[in-house]
Amino acid sequence: MFTAQNLISIAVAALLTAGLYAVMSYGLALIYGVMKVINLSNAGFVMLGAFMTFEYFERWHLDPMLGAVVNLPVFFLAGWLLYTLLVRRVMAALPIASLLLLFAVWLVLQNVALAIWGSEDHSIITAYTYTAVTVLGFRIPLTRLLVFGIALAALGVLHVLLGRTYLGKALRATVQDPQAAVLVGIDTERISALAFGVGTALAAFGGGLLTLLFSFTPDFGSAFQLKSFTIIVLGGLESFAGVMAGAAILSFAESYAVLFMRASLQNVLAYALLVVALVVLPGGVAQLWTRGRS
Amino acid sequence: MRRCLRIGGAFFIMPALLLVLASPGRPAAMPEIKIGTVLPLTGAFGSAGLYFRQGYGMVVDDVNNAGGLQIGSQKYHVNLIVLDDGSNGTQSRSLVEKLVTDQHVNFLLGGYDTSLVEAQEVVPDQYKIPYVEGGGAASDIFKRGYKYIFGTLAVVYDMGSTTANFLTYQIAQGKLPKPLTEAVVYENTDHGKDYIDALTDAAKAHPDLFKIVLSQPFQLNGSDFSPLLQQVTAANVEAFLSDAHLPDFITMQRQYLQLGMYNPFISYGARGPDQAGRRALGAGADYLVAALWWTPALKDPGSQLFTARYQRQFNATPDWFQALAYDTARVLFAGIHNANSLDGTAVRDSLARLVFRGALLPGGVIRFSTNGQIAGSPYVIVQNTPGNTVRIVWPRNIPETRDVTLPVPRMP
Repeated sequence: MFTAQNLISIAVAALLTAGLYAVMSYGLALIYGVMKVINLSNAGFVMLGAFMTFEYFERWHLDPMLGAVVNLPVFFLAGWLLYTLLVRRVMAALPIASLLLLFAVWLVLQNVALAIWGSEDHSIITAYTYTAVTVLGFRIPLTRLLVFGIALAALGVLHVLLGRTYLGKALRATVQDPQAAVLVGIDTERISALAFGVGTALAAFGGGLLTLLFSFTPDFGSAFQLKSFTIIVLGGLESFAGVMAGAAILSFAESYAVLFMRASLQNVLAYALLVVALVVLPGGVAQLWTRGRS
Repeated sequence: MRRCLRIGGAFFIMPALLLVLASPGRPAAMPEIKIGTVLPLTGAFGSAGLYFRQGYGMVVDDVNNAGGLQIGSQKYHVNLIVLDDGSNGTQSRSLVEKLVTDQHVNFLLGGYDTSLVEAQEVVPDQYKIPYVEGGGAASDIFKRGYKYIFGTLAVVYDMGSTTANFLTYQIAQGKLPKPLTEAVVYENTDHGKDYIDALTDAAKAHPDLFKIVLSQPFQLNGSDFSPLLQQVTAANVEAFLSDAHLPDFITMQRQYLQLGMYNPFISYGARGPDQAGRRALGAGADYLVAALWWTPALKDPGSQLFTARYQRQFNATPDWFQALAYDTARVLFAGIHNANSLDGTAVRDSLARLVFRGALLPGGVIRFSTNGQIAGSPYVIVQNTPGNTVRIVWPRNIPETRDVTLPVPRMP
């Protein structure tokens, strides 16, 4: 029933989805890498990023792509404050304390959104929402292509910042060995706040981009949270390159699985991949690279 | 100090005084009937839950503004207690039980959607409290032998059969090809199962008319339907039929259009004309065909009055959700009034015998079969038209019925 063209179309769609998954998950991996904290409020900031983008669009007719960019400094500040005012205070306690705290933050964000925007579906329709472009005979939704391009560009910028700047290098050093980082004079407190700010900004950036593809409610983001967890576990929790690989694995697996199984089992696949990765490959795909090198 | 005390006192006393002044006019000696309902005011079905609360609230306001519900020689003030289940089945069931055991409600109004109604339906029989619902439409709800459950929504199986009858007529008119090739995708719930069962039965009964090329269930509240839609593209069919709830409908139709897909006939079951869907999709929802329990396009006086009142009260156009909630609450009050008693069993028996006239539903009459399900299948089929309007296109015997535009025009 499937022609070669159909199969390639699925591959193209999977690749575009992978870019989206990566940008949603990068912040989660960054925060976990630096602080070993699982940021359960990530979904809340994805949702809030979507609603803020909606507000920019409604009030100032700001295109969602620009809205997503505006989210970056706004939510960087929010993340920085969240870390400084709340998360920092529970860092010395058991991991469950930060987990519960951030879960509570997620619930607060959801309820605040509910109070402001209500429970109705919101969406942004632009002049190009339903436009598709034809590339090499394949019809590709323009919004997906844009989201993929912007997500890739954002990750590229982040890669350069992490690799070339002092702050980026300090951040990577903290991920690799926090104690050694302190010994060489890195202010790990400041680096943690920075990581939390960047992670939160990326979540809201992702939320802004998602408005091009989906409608959203205060519950928005929870469906993507599970996928993000799967992706960072597949990627090896602390590996940024692993996040890209994890996103690609999940996206391609989901897309091609419908050829062999019921579409209703799509989420089961994500759960199964999470379990398999935790049991068989706890270090994620990054573990395979390490093994390959040694 | 005294000034501070005065200000402090006023600070606490004023809100209490305002509350007393603002509370609805209920005489102190007037007894109370408690009606409980658990609705999804948050979560995936939050929009629909809100609509149901509005519909129930309109009826309760009517009753209280008329001086209360007359039972025997006594008038009762109606107190509607609404709890939010967050669109979660487990929570929904336990909250209904809480309404009964903690709040001691006399009667229950149903929740929304099928999966949440199915979660709630075990409680009413356990405590012998009548439960009238207008938000669950799977036939399975009424196959379990419960005696205290009554449903005002015609079941989804009938929605599928009505759609098949409509398609049969359009094929005969030459507006669709014969046999009509179909791709059917449906949510993985009893709701979706009813829909695919009806279409499969129609295809078996009329193999010359219908050929189902693809039949695929999907996860409720999905985030990405692209792989599923790629399958629909590969099926290369004339009709794309999907049974989806509001959030899934919006996501799926958006992705359908973004992928540049086109089928001469497209329907999402009961979705399409919903105001939330039209706002979310804009022109992307035009020309969709939907089978509904009620539409503001119905021209009977009851429907027109309800639409006008709802628009005045909420500054929005009602969908079937609000109308069904309105009818459902009115049916419960009619049952209580006819029973002339607050006894659960007496009201249950009264509901079982009830012939409720003046309903908003097509035909205007609600009565129940022995299993508690509404008798008959009062569906209308509508087609969205540009400018957020709809036209009724089925059944043929309603005066306001117009011709359907088929094949549907391509999105420019």
